[in-house]
Amino acid sequence: MVMSITFEKLSYTYQTGTPFEHHALQDISLTIADHSYTAIIGHTGSGKSTLLQHLNGLLKPTSGKLVVNGQMIDTKTKNKQLGDLRHEVGFVFQFPEAQLFEETVLKDISFGPKNLGKSETEALEIARQKAKLVNLPDDVLEKSPFELSGGQMRRVAIAGILAMQPNILVLDEPTAGLDPKGRIEMMEMFKQLYEKEKLTIILVTHNMNDVANYADNVIVLEQGRLLRQGVPTEIFSNPEWLNKHHLGLPQTTAFALKLQERGINLQELPLTEKKLAQKLAALLQREVK
Amino acid sequence: MDRFILGRYINGDSLVHKLDARDKLIISMYFIVIIFLANNWQTYSLLLVVVLGCVGLSRINLGFFLKGVSAMIWLIIFTVLLQVFFTSGGTVYWHWGILTLTHYGIVRGVYVFCRFVLIIFMSTLLTLTTSPLEISDGLESLMKPLKYVKVPVYEIALMLSIALRFVPTLMDETQKIMNAQRSRGVNFGQGKLIDQIKAVIPLLIPLFVSAINRAEDLAIAMEARGYHGGEGRSKYRQQIWHLQDTLALGLFAIVTVALLFLRTW
Repeated sequence: MVMSITFEKLSYTYQTGTPFEHHALQDISLTIADHSYTAIIGHTGSGKSTLLQHLNGLLKPTSGKLVVNGQMIDTKTKNKQLGDLRHEVGFVFQFPEAQLFEETVLKDISFGPKNLGKSETEALEIARQKAKLVNLPDDVLEKSPFELSGGQMRRVAIAGILAMQPNILVLDEPTAGLDPKGRIEMMEMFKQLYEKEKLTIILVTHNMNDVANYADNVIVLEQGRLLRQGVPTEIFSNPEWLNKHHLGLPQTTAFALKLQERGINLQELPLTEKKLAQKLAALLQREVK
Repeated sequence: MDRFILGRYINGDSLVHKLDARDKLIISMYFIVIIFLANNWQTYSLLLVVVLGCVGLSRINLGFFLKGVSAMIWLIIFTVLLQVFFTSGGTVYWHWGILTLTHYGIVRGVYVFCRFVLIIFMSTLLTLTTSPLEISDGLESLMKPLKYVKVPVYEIALMLSIALRFVPTLMDETQKIMNAQRSRGVNFGQGKLIDQIKAVIPLLIPLFVSAINRAEDLAIAMEARGYHGGEGRSKYRQQIWHLQDTLALGLFAIVTVALLFLRTW
């Protein structure tokens, strides 16, 4: 079985038949490959969150269908059939620390596996593993989650999702509200999960630097429609196009563009600091010679 | 959650929307009182015509009002069944133990059902056509006389408007937390009763935490902007009583007279 996510002509309308009717997604067809790191970008209201919520069946398409690792979801899919999907797809919501409720960190993380029918000891064992995975220090495990700092609370919440042992991890703006250090640590943690745990990662973000640094597949949404899908270098290769659709450039690319305007020819626009540094180094070397 | 119709305002510029909030509050409370004057089919149909007329004037889809009824359908069914089976008198159609189905019972059941529909329609009309802020301003203004007996009218109105303002926010929050816990394998509204009750804990605790945090933020934000109680505060939204408001009151006075004529004494 090929593990992947496929959307076929999927549309979703909020509150059909009322004055609040809103076409959040229209005619979306796309594929997300197994073990890819996909970034979904687009403006507020472009349908990113709606798209995500289809992935584990929180929303069901108004028309069309999607297939997640072989399981099909369309309008008629019953909630009971979605149990496996919730297991398969781990969903980290915006500000996930809002879901914490248990007395101790460890208990909170083990809540998910317990719901899946794991025994108390098994669930606690999983919780311990996942706490380590998200770099939580040992001494916080028995504390109340409400005593922790914002960044740590978020880690607890994410560990709670990882404890469901998903193959696909969905992240809805996971770094919102964190300080710069916290956000880098968080993004590096997801990179680790992607590389070491072999998770498929789907990330919604407004931060183009994160897209450039981490993703290998980009989906651009605009007003509920799929505008474009491709690798980051492709998406960011055309500044005019990005400008037209009010999307930003990664800082590095913006910097490189300015260099190019001043007559420094870099050929292809680099996306990461490392690439830019290499190119500049090569140029300087040539000049020295 | 879509079904929760109370506290949901639909913007519009119909005649009903334009009426003064105080007027609408008085009328809807008054209407609920005069419903109890109705006791035969003529009076109930008159009230139904009046309510449907008001709904028509508001130019809001009837579906919204029906949703309001469907949200309370279990309470309605329960009350109606009580009336139907425990009212004696008239022709007996069916009899089993303490349950009797009589002509009188059926009529009473229909009346009770009508009463529910009328009350729900009218109060839904009030909340659909009047923004929460208007409602609390209206209440404050109507409660003004109570100031003389040392009732903290302004504080009550402020509490009310804050509460109303945060209904949709808390609903959204509830939805979000429910989704998050669903993603962690909770099945709301499924399984045994004890499991369903247990499923409420992971929902309620985060909800309380966020509500309390929100309250604290709000208090700080208000104090930071120099809020110091209601004494001598002027109003941004002025309430003006128009001719149409008096006319609306007059209309319901006429309805009352008609009811008094039509009802069986």
